[in-house]
Amino acid sequence: MRETAVTGLVGVGFGFALSRIGFTSWDEVHRMFTFADLRMLLAFATAVAVLAVSWRVVSATTGATWPPRRIHQGTLAGGALFGAGWALSGACPSIALVQLGEGQLGAGWTLVGIVAGNWLYSVVHERWLRWSTGSCLDE
Amino acid sequence: MEHWPWWAGGLGLAAVALGHWLLARRMLSVSGRITAIVDRLRHGPPEEPDMSREEMLAALREMTAEEYGQDAVEAAPEPPAAKTPARSRASIGGHFVFLGGLAVGGVVSAALAGALEPVAGLRSDVFESLFGGGLVGPLVLVAGGVLVGFGTRMATGCTSGHGLCGASRLQPGSLVATCAFFGTGVVVSLLLGVLA
Repeated sequence: MRETAVTGLVGVGFGFALSRIGFTSWDEVHRMFTFADLRMLLAFATAVAVLAVSWRVVSATTGATWPPRRIHQGTLAGGALFGAGWALSGACPSIALVQLGEGQLGAGWTLVGIVAGNWLYSVVHERWLRWSTGSCLDE
Repeated sequence: MEHWPWWAGGLGLAAVALGHWLLARRMLSVSGRITAIVDRLRHGPPEEPDMSREEMLAALREMTAEEYGQDAVEAAPEPPAAKTPARSRASIGGHFVFLGGLAVGGVVSAALAGALEPVAGLRSDVFESLFGGGLVGPLVLVAGGVLVGFGTRMATGCTSGHGLCGASRLQPGSLVATCAFFGTGVVVSLLLGVLA
């Protein structure tokens, strides 16, 4: 119960932050990708830099390790398809949900597409591709 | 809505990713949660094992005794402690709670900004001028969503798992995926900018 409540609260915090940074705005995402406004790119780079230090501190103090994220046959192509979809819809997977919460009801279409696309890939992978992604977690 | 300056945004995103691991003991992974839900919808709940762990160990001991004798059973080391089942398979309730939390975060943000009035499409000037009106807008959103869902599952990660958490650990798969999605994001956006 406590774990579920904490998970929900982190979700709320993530949604709020994404909204306030501007990731839920199609126009802001467009300005980020066309380099018309570097603010969100800088925010992202800052987060990565802060996290890089944080993981080292966490690992050194708790001994925690995390599963490797290897390159596999789907890494490049999958990332490329995702980027095209992000530029078109203005949404990565979390964003569609935050947009819906903000009252941007068009994001419902995006969400339908995301679930359908995830489902479609699982079928395509099982029938034709079947490569290993190098992780039992496959996240 | 007033947007946060870049440094506040960076600290906010880092706090969420770090807090997610410290509190929930798993790396932030939004597409991974969607994958877990889709898999449950496709395949149903995981099957119960045919026998309990104790029954399984007893059967293994019996077979070991038959094959190698009772001495081998007694000389064998203690079996490792029982593992808890993988959380992603055990329950999908937490995934719905997290994804629901994202939407609630959007509600809170919009409410505090006094911008809760819903719109049928997106709050975007460029998107509406490019695709707005009629069926084109929804079709582009569904098509874009399919690319996002298909691509993130194919790359086994999205902006959170690869972009934030994997890239900051300098994981090769995450660095390649992040460069790929930023790369095509830039190309497609520049093309849309020419059309706009």
